[in-house]
Amino acid sequence: MIPYVLKTLWRHRTRTLLTLSGSAVAMFVYCFVGSVQEGLERLTSGDDANRTLVVFQENRFCPTTSRLPENYARRILDVSGVRQVIPIQVWTNNCRASLDIVVFNGADPTQIHKSRPIRLIEGTWEEFQERRDAAIVGDNVARRRGLQVGQQFTIGEISVHIAGVFQSKVPSEENLIYTNLPFLQNTRGLDATGLVTQHEVLLAEDADPDRVASEIDEMLRSGSVATKTRRKGAFQASTLSDLVDLISFAHWLGYACVGLVLSLVATTTLMSVQDRLKEYAVLQTIGFRPLATLRLVLMESTLLCFTGGILGTILAMSVLSFGGFALGAEGATIDFRPTIHLALSSLIVSIATGLLAGLAPAIQASTLKVVTALRDP
Amino acid sequence: MVIVELQRVTKSFRKGDEIITPLDDVSISIQEGEFVSLMGPSGTGKSTLLNLVSGIDRPDTGSIHVDGTEITKLTRAQLSDWRAANLGYIFQTHNLIPVLTAYENVELPTLLLKLSASERRRRVELALEAVGLNDRSNHYPRQLSGGQEQRVGIARAIVAHPKIVVADEPTGSLDFETSLQVQTLLQRLNKELNITMLLVTHDAKVASIAGRRLVLDRGKLLESTLGAER
Repeated sequence: MIPYVLKTLWRHRTRTLLTLSGSAVAMFVYCFVGSVQEGLERLTSGDDANRTLVVFQENRFCPTTSRLPENYARRILDVSGVRQVIPIQVWTNNCRASLDIVVFNGADPTQIHKSRPIRLIEGTWEEFQERRDAAIVGDNVARRRGLQVGQQFTIGEISVHIAGVFQSKVPSEENLIYTNLPFLQNTRGLDATGLVTQHEVLLAEDADPDRVASEIDEMLRSGSVATKTRRKGAFQASTLSDLVDLISFAHWLGYACVGLVLSLVATTTLMSVQDRLKEYAVLQTIGFRPLATLRLVLMESTLLCFTGGILGTILAMSVLSFGGFALGAEGATIDFRPTIHLALSSLIVSIATGLLAGLAPAIQASTLKVVTALRDP
Repeated sequence: MVIVELQRVTKSFRKGDEIITPLDDVSISIQEGEFVSLMGPSGTGKSTLLNLVSGIDRPDTGSIHVDGTEITKLTRAQLSDWRAANLGYIFQTHNLIPVLTAYENVELPTLLLKLSASERRRRVELALEAVGLNDRSNHYPRQLSGGQEQRVGIARAIVAHPKIVVADEPTGSLDFETSLQVQTLLQRLNKELNITMLLVTHDAKVASIAGRRLVLDRGKLLESTLGAER
């Protein structure tokens, strides 16, 4: 009976196409909202978020306001459980929430190479290490800004030569641009010679992150600048706390999209069924069981939703793949990334929505009074 | 052998404040291979009786046996299965599915039977051949004339090799010439395929093609011999 369902949908192609486009747009938004949520979850979970500490100046939030002595690195390294310390100077073009935030992290190229889970997909480490104004750019930023190896990239007072483009196992890292630490410290306007924004602390395997964090803060309490040390995930969640609230609210938008598809497809299917009650009566007279007509209607609504879901999901995954979108604030970024999990959940939701949307019309078609429906002109 | 037997069947329904009883204690027996017409003025319950025999409506009292099965005791789903295997229904307004071709419309009842694809194809082709529409099998209902549509409807009714075919005013919406063609076709199918037929019509000429003619008048069934004289 699949040809019957397909031909029925084709018979009212304008209505079908409008419904398909509606459900495709809704599932597109669903995927987009979902990708932001997933990005936030990735930022606050996983090894990088839980086994790395960030030492920041106490009571400071924006990177431009945190100024820690660079030589704190040596003292932090003395704390038991600390494997490595990376002093990082952060510069961002926008401390407020932005969809096109550019974040520079100035650090020692050798340390970056050895400690960060990144892989150059273009360019060379040698050029990054040897050239003072060299930078390696995260794949997301490169795609968003159209940056290529060999180009000079200028933003504000900073002008860097792009020595490479990298991908990272930590998706949000692909929104960063790494430069040499001294280069960024001496950028006009920063005047941060000997100072850094934060120290990133990599822990030994058996170290307890919370214990190490409190020991670092305790030790540096007597220093020139007090610190606040947190797990990287907690630090980023705190940095993005305003956005986290917004994103938590935005998941309702995802549910609203599902509701939209539900009402759209339910209306279309109901109209379609009411136009064809006599047809269903004929089918039942021929010998189709009421349950078979119920299945026909459900198949129709599910096909509408699922096809719209596929279109919306493919579109969303493509835009997320090639758009390089990221939402950031105060130097931390949430990347929007297409994932298999997101695509599958979108498709499952569209199937479930299709079944639900077709339920009322399907019950109407299967419980109709055959004799009465046959009398309709 | 009796194939259809109605015993003391009564059916009434409410129309506004009035209770109408189109069938009042009606009993009837139809033999296998018999061609029976049922006539009477409009609104006398001819179609109601047809619907009861088809199992798409239920009597208030009485019982209906078709080929040994008491269909009044079957559930809705059981009745569907029973119709798929035993009954062909010819509608007055053809009632073909507009999005399906003539072939696909005729094929519909065979989808409900356990048949191989080749057997299904053979039966559909035979049914279309029987009504002389093999060359129109890929046409949609909108591309067919009224008479051709009715012939497709007849092919759909006989394709599953039913025990009984019921026809509700099958010539009611056709012109004189086409009506004659359909009447001849029904007679031929009854004789050649030995299909039991119950034909409802208000037209005495159409009713006369049947071997036995029944008249429904004010809820009661009367036997007429006019059909046999023909």
